[in-house]
Amino acid sequence: MPSASSKTAPPTAATPSGPASGLAPSVGLPLRFVATGFAAWLAGVALLVARPDILATYHYNQYVVAATHLWVLGFLSSVVMGAMYQLVPVALEVRLHSERLAKWQFVFHLVGWVGMVAMFWRWDLKQVGHFGSAFAVGVGLFVYNLGRTLRRVPRWNVVAAGVASALAWLSLTVGVGLVVVTGKCTYDSVEELTATNPLREMLQALAAVAAWVNQFDPLGVMHAHAHLGVVGFFVMMIVAVSYKLLPMFLLSEVQSEWRARWSVRLLNGGLAGLFVALAWRRTWQPVAALVLIAGLGLYFAEVVAILRARRRRMIDWGLRHHVTAQGLLGLVAVLGLVLGWPGLRVTMFTAQLETVYGWLGIAGVVSFTVLGFLYKIVPFLVWYHSYSRAVGRARVPALADLYSEKVQVAGYWSYLAGLLVAAAGAAAGHAPLARAGAVILLLSLAGLGWNLGRMLAHGVRPRVVPFGPRPVVNPVNA
Amino acid sequence: MTSIDPRQVEDALRQVVDPELGCNLVDLGLIYGTEITSETVRVTMTLTTQGCPMHESLVAGVRAVLLELAGVREVAVDVVWDPPWNPAMMTPAGRAHVGLA
Repeated sequence: MPSASSKTAPPTAATPSGPASGLAPSVGLPLRFVATGFAAWLAGVALLVARPDILATYHYNQYVVAATHLWVLGFLSSVVMGAMYQLVPVALEVRLHSERLAKWQFVFHLVGWVGMVAMFWRWDLKQVGHFGSAFAVGVGLFVYNLGRTLRRVPRWNVVAAGVASALAWLSLTVGVGLVVVTGKCTYDSVEELTATNPLREMLQALAAVAAWVNQFDPLGVMHAHAHLGVVGFFVMMIVAVSYKLLPMFLLSEVQSEWRARWSVRLLNGGLAGLFVALAWRRTWQPVAALVLIAGLGLYFAEVVAILRARRRRMIDWGLRHHVTAQGLLGLVAVLGLVLGWPGLRVTMFTAQLETVYGWLGIAGVVSFTVLGFLYKIVPFLVWYHSYSRAVGRARVPALADLYSEKVQVAGYWSYLAGLLVAAAGAAAGHAPLARAGAVILLLSLAGLGWNLGRMLAHGVRPRVVPFGPRPVVNPVNA
Repeated sequence: MTSIDPRQVEDALRQVVDPELGCNLVDLGLIYGTEITSETVRVTMTLTTQGCPMHESLVAGVRAVLLELAGVREVAVDVVWDPPWNPAMMTPAGRAHVGLA
């Protein structure tokens, strides 16, 4: 069925399978998440410049917990959630269930993470619980919205399975986080409430949960919670969308559906085992870690196969971020296996290596991937807002024209340098070295900020050039 | 009545550029065919991938650019996935521009 237009009638919209961009929400929705995420990222790195001891001391203290939640919830979750509202409809060719719910989620999300970070810093865990509950409502809306969206997917595939898995792990991460906070609160006030007060029953239930969770080793539960979030939500989401986006940007295809499917299954199985092993302190933890690493190995193999089969010779810098992050993921996986090996002697150095492990996982693997995808997502959003209706009517810039590649390349190298210098500072427990790394990261983010400003300038003042007189003589890029 | 020149149709379609690849639709090999009847141009085209986020913009661009041509009163666009697009369909100029392996 063709779509037709005439000079006398307005253009009709539908084409046989439906335009993917028409399925995505308005550009303002993902952009507000991205802007919030970038602000939190800047704040997180600035915090490390001011307080490098966060990296240079053992990680079980209120400031590390606050800084981690600033980075993970404020920056990474904001950007990834905003991107998912844009990417899931495009990647799976289905309309987002509700943009309105997504806007409400943003409110709960913002209030939740800002309050949580502030209250972690003060170590007021009762208020962490309250703000965490607001954050959890936001996550509930996010999971419900994307879950309903996934139900409409006409062809269930590995991308949909990966996204669904990531949503399930996110829900569990938030649930475990709230349970952990519940265990760190006191419930003395329950005795002062009358028997008829409805709050009494709720507080008694919370006290029972606290008594149960306090049987566990708090460090083990915290590590289990962190792995659920970072591996379950972020790494799983990266794996899932890579199977759609890498072939799309590289002009390639998934080379083995079997390999892709099993990478997701092994990641799920390995993470479930690792969660139990970490929380219950089981000695078979390395077995679960090896299952997880096998899933990552299949994913790496598939990425290499996609890269080898690509028809686009050039790998742009956005994708180089992604490929570099996969290399870091291999390093982090090996480090994690070593640190989890039974009988490993705990020394000052191995304790600091745990911080390096978390730092390279969060600020390296996940943040570097997000940085690369920002150079894909934001130009597209701005281009779509400013130029999509001008195609065929005037000369419009390509996506790569919306920012400076030189600044992007400088940002790539400076981010990598800052990451590794800060990791060295963390490993050595050397605060000035950690601060030097954070300063380099801040410079890298300044470059990113400058490029984001250039992109957004196209949103404010589009640069459309009228076509020259026809006929045009065979230009490749018109 | 002005007759529509097929050469002008092709030149007009070269004005529509894929913003990700920076190459026009003709040299990308995305235009499978054009059919000119009286005052109507029917374009059969594809995209590099199903679920391409540029789908809507590129199809609208094809319509807009053809409706600007003298003698064209109607444009019909068929987006098809069979045969699936393959880089072998690109022109040498397009391959060179995209940096094809």
